[in-house]
Amino acid sequence: MVNDPQPYAGDTKRSPVVACIVGTIVSCILAAGIIVAHIPGPTPLWGSIMWVCVGAVLTGVTIVLLLTKQPFARRLFFTVAKWVFLYILVLTAMGEYVLVFDGMRGEPLVIMTAVLLLFLVNIPMLWGFSVARHERAAG
Amino acid sequence: MSELVGDQAAVAAPKAQAGPFVPLWGIAVDAAVLVALVVTIARNSGYGLDFFHVFAGALWISTDLLMGFIIGPTIRRLDIPARMVFSKGLMTKMMLVMPTAVICTLASGWQLARSDGLFTSPYSPQHGWILAALIVVALLAVIAYTFLEPANIVVLMELRKPEPNGLLIGRMMQRFLYTAGILGILQLSIIVIMVRLATW
Repeated sequence: MVNDPQPYAGDTKRSPVVACIVGTIVSCILAAGIIVAHIPGPTPLWGSIMWVCVGAVLTGVTIVLLLTKQPFARRLFFTVAKWVFLYILVLTAMGEYVLVFDGMRGEPLVIMTAVLLLFLVNIPMLWGFSVARHERAAG
Repeated sequence: MSELVGDQAAVAAPKAQAGPFVPLWGIAVDAAVLVALVVTIARNSGYGLDFFHVFAGALWISTDLLMGFIIGPTIRRLDIPARMVFSKGLMTKMMLVMPTAVICTLASGWQLARSDGLFTSPYSPQHGWILAALIVVALLAVIAYTFLEPANIVVLMELRKPEPNGLLIGRMMQRFLYTAGILGILQLSIIVIMVRLATW
């Protein structure tokens, strides 16, 4: 039962962390989408590289925002994130396996691997943050 | 409204729980399915790929349609204790079934498209439809990973606490049900695309 004098609906503010992670995911999908859309023709890779770089920068910003966020339930964040990481690791490993199995090599493989790595980092951060942001941490 | 729903939810919620988030036997079943998928892809078995794609795809689409248009509206009409018991049982199972169904559908679908020559002949007539399917899947992924699953996890985490935050649960459940409805609508377009590709 809730005994708080004031009802707490969780963190209802718009969060830059969520915005950055959603931006990263969209960037990853655009980067992969450009390659997939051109298969089997030659792919102009600059577009994909640009979107991967955008995703990488946004990931860096997300990490900085998470590290500097105070107060923040870090323990709960890592508790959730580590299990989500394991789950996403299985999914990304399957994706990488399919790409390598199909003979993708060279720069497209590097870009697709980078996209999968960005997914692997960002989804656990998003799910961990989604839970931890509502926790009223001390400080 | 969500405050009222949330308070009733907190009263109705079971007391704090420890132990695994999802049933361990379910994880074992998921692992076995994924191993079977890897073997099927490695052997490039046409029957196996078709089986995985049709079975897992049908499961994925049906579940989204069911959640969006039948279970979601039904849950909203249930009284709160029934809603909480039902949701808790459903969500933990969904966490096991859906990710596996999605990865099986996508991995086997990619391999099928490749073995059907859709990625080897320069721009097959179906290229536009394949792209449309990929765009819809991308939208599904963004919505599911950024809105639906986080809301699901927040609700499940709250329900495990000795004193769940009812207001938060109410907010997140509303988000979950609305998002499931959007996914259901997107899945209708996937059906149109897949039927077109299958009857080319």
